[in-house]
Amino acid sequence: MASRMDELDASEHYTKESEDAAPVLLNIILDTNPIAWAYLSDTLPLPKVVAALLVFINAHLAFNQANKISVIASHVDRAEFLYPTITPSEVQSNEANEMDTVMQNARNGHDTAADDANFYRPFATIASSLNDALRKLFAKTPPSALSNSTTALAGAMTLALAHANKLIVELTPDRSTNPAVITSSALTAPTALHSRILVLSASPASPHQYIPLMNAIFASARLSIPIDVLALTPTSSTFLQQASSTTNGIFLTLQYPHGLLQTLLQAFLPSLPSRGYLVPATQSAVDFRAACFCHRKVVDVGYVCSICLSIFCEPPEGAICFTCGTKLRLQDYGKKPVVTVRKKKRKRQEGDNGVATPSGRMTPAA
Amino acid sequence: MPAADSDDEYIQTISDEEGDAHRVSNGRRRGDRSTGGRGRNVRAAGFEVSRTWEALEEGVDGTISGAIEGLLDATKRKRATKDTTPFQRGIIRHLILILDLSEAMLEKDLRPSRHLLTLHYAQDFVREYFEQNPISQLGIVGMLDGKAERISDMSGNPEEHVSALQAWRDKQPSGNPSLQNALDMARGALFHAPSHGTREVLVIFGAIYTVDPGDIHDTIKALVLANITCTVVGLSAEVAICRTLVTKTNPSMNPQLAYSVALDETHYRELFMAATTPPPIAAANHQPERDDTGGTLLQMGFPSRIVTPYPSLCACHSQVTRDGYLCPRCNSKACSLPSECRVCGFTLILSTHLARSYHHLFPLLNWYEVTWNMARSQSPSQKHCFACQTSFPEIPTEQSLAEAESRKKKASGLAAAKQPTAVVGRSEQAGTRVLNSSSRPQATHIEGISESGRYGCPTCQTHFCIDCDVFSHAETHNCPGCLAKVGLDHGYGDSDGMDIDASSITKPNGIGNKMTDKDVYGDILKGLEKLLVGVS
Repeated sequence: MASRMDELDASEHYTKESEDAAPVLLNIILDTNPIAWAYLSDTLPLPKVVAALLVFINAHLAFNQANKISVIASHVDRAEFLYPTITPSEVQSNEANEMDTVMQNARNGHDTAADDANFYRPFATIASSLNDALRKLFAKTPPSALSNSTTALAGAMTLALAHANKLIVELTPDRSTNPAVITSSALTAPTALHSRILVLSASPASPHQYIPLMNAIFASARLSIPIDVLALTPTSSTFLQQASSTTNGIFLTLQYPHGLLQTLLQAFLPSLPSRGYLVPATQSAVDFRAACFCHRKVVDVGYVCSICLSIFCEPPEGAICFTCGTKLRLQDYGKKPVVTVRKKKRKRQEGDNGVATPSGRMTPAA
Repeated sequence: MPAADSDDEYIQTISDEEGDAHRVSNGRRRGDRSTGGRGRNVRAAGFEVSRTWEALEEGVDGTISGAIEGLLDATKRKRATKDTTPFQRGIIRHLILILDLSEAMLEKDLRPSRHLLTLHYAQDFVREYFEQNPISQLGIVGMLDGKAERISDMSGNPEEHVSALQAWRDKQPSGNPSLQNALDMARGALFHAPSHGTREVLVIFGAIYTVDPGDIHDTIKALVLANITCTVVGLSAEVAICRTLVTKTNPSMNPQLAYSVALDETHYRELFMAATTPPPIAAANHQPERDDTGGTLLQMGFPSRIVTPYPSLCACHSQVTRDGYLCPRCNSKACSLPSECRVCGFTLILSTHLARSYHHLFPLLNWYEVTWNMARSQSPSQKHCFACQTSFPEIPTEQSLAEAESRKKKASGLAAAKQPTAVVGRSEQAGTRVLNSSSRPQATHIEGISESGRYGCPTCQTHFCIDCDVFSHAETHNCPGCLAKVGLDHGYGDSDGMDIDASSITKPNGIGNKMTDKDVYGDILKGLEKLLVGVS
């Protein structure tokens, strides 16, 4: 009886292998911080980036019919889906409204790309809806929001992960039904959908988002979703470096703005299985040093409170942790390394001339 | 489900053999019959509870798909809703896992066998443990042939433990277990654990007896003295000595939680994995002579990852590598973190390892179930899950709701009339459960399940679907709604007395300051205009 059960068990678990056909969901997180783009406008204007991104997206979709895409804006005051879009306002707006915008576009001489006979229709719909969504996003950004210098990166990442998770759950029905499977196979089971995240970053992440960002990073590491980062400005965030190194993603700083499309296609297009055969262009040295909570000094030797794990650059005053207020026991931090006490040198006899310098200790016999 | 019945028989036949096998057991079989019988009753009840089709036939007027989905959702969400009160938790743990490798583990009531399943779960446990407690230590001890065998030493490297466990897959469990020997070995291994960390023992106990060389009560006393807490997961039946052990060593914890017997594979896994969450530190644990808090300031090194153009030997494994981490104190190279520097004994970790434990300290608040009325009043415009864009079911009008209510009442009246026949032959517990779900025929009334399919974050009032609810609480520990709207709180529980201001946890090296300079501000607005023109 047991043997029969074993067989059943095996057939259930090990038969499904269709590695090549597994579609890829690419979540692109686009930093839409207007301030950062204003800075970049001379070398790398946003429209050019969007154009390059669209080519990249089309290339991704052309690889496999079932490949999926989502674009999320990490904006100054919110994180929002740019594609696929079902914003409440859009749902509410009735058909007449939709017709209006189409008509308007036609009148304004914009191509209603979706109707272009020379344009593969899925590509066209993405292009047009992405452009629409971006325009709407900028239109509804209040000037007050511009006082924020950072973007909702953690929010965008969480959205991307939730979206990816939903698709994974839908495509692998066992997971949703058997609670044991959800946790056990999260890392190992062949999923019906590979997913990855590409962050186009133009502004640094806010330190306020440290905890949520780290949570998102660990979640994506657990789901084995790599986070690829293309930093458009050389002053990139250490968070994102840590994100890509923790999740086995690719971190690149864009060096030649004109080569954006090429960088995207060459470094970020290969899917996860094919990356095993390529030499990934990534930055290997990662700054993992921590900043202390007390003086914001970047330290490589720090003191950590065992209760709340806050980092200090030196033992805090009175040995009381700032953050959790616990009285901490100090240890002997080995500031004075234990050195074997050297015996007082015997006074060397003057007339020795170093002829025979008997070293006090003999080398240990081999 | 005929499988359930055959399973019952199956267990029954095995349990007879079990009885034979245990007759060798040195007379320490107290409570075998009685507790064993109870355990099986519970198990039988478990099978009966899963006969959901009977419950569904009654009550519901039309389809039953809604009810089934509701039950599924309930199990999903059960996993997600946890206690979110921030406890002071023992983040730095020292745990010895004691595995039963005696012949009691040959039984196949847990498939494929207790032994194989335990080894499989133990590997998952090791991975999960280090995932959740990156700066903790673990050691594994086995009980077989009346002695304790060390499977792996105390260490912080998951791979060592996993490979040690894999080596045991080929060996057969044999002999009698000795709880005393194993506990003594665990006590010895935990003897040097520093006082700022926890000292824990987790016993997986398959047998219902123990063969000991001395008085196990002395060992238990010694464990209490050494401040070691023991938790036990039983596989066959509750054993009195385990109960004693757990009650004595967990003075503050509910002993019911610290010792439970697995009903089936899923339950076993749940119990096993529950030990990966760092335990709350009880106030009673802080003894006066121990400086009244368990807090210690630890010195740690945060090395950066380096890649050298030429390969060199690492200090930990003497392997030739090009990348690694340099100890900030003595500059020797370690190839993986967290670890202790082999040369100077310095604790080396990454700041990301510390960050990995933050979600235990700041748990995400549980989301509330949104009723139809709340959905209508709070956010009528939100028709899709905020995170994954799946559409919610349509909000019914107030009129149709009222109608449905009255229909439901009628239906429940009918169901109640039918009920007595349906409950016949069922155990008490199963009967009550069935009653509950059938008197409320729609899936919407199962505990913890929202009738509108919406779950709302108490901080940002955004609504999410059940999958995103579970995912956010189990995996990301972030509320997408709060984070997507900058300026709101992040939806974490208020932590009593240990409120870390998120802003104080900063890492970047002062980038971006120039972006907020006043004189640039005009340019920005100009740039924004340019953008708007450019995009279109």
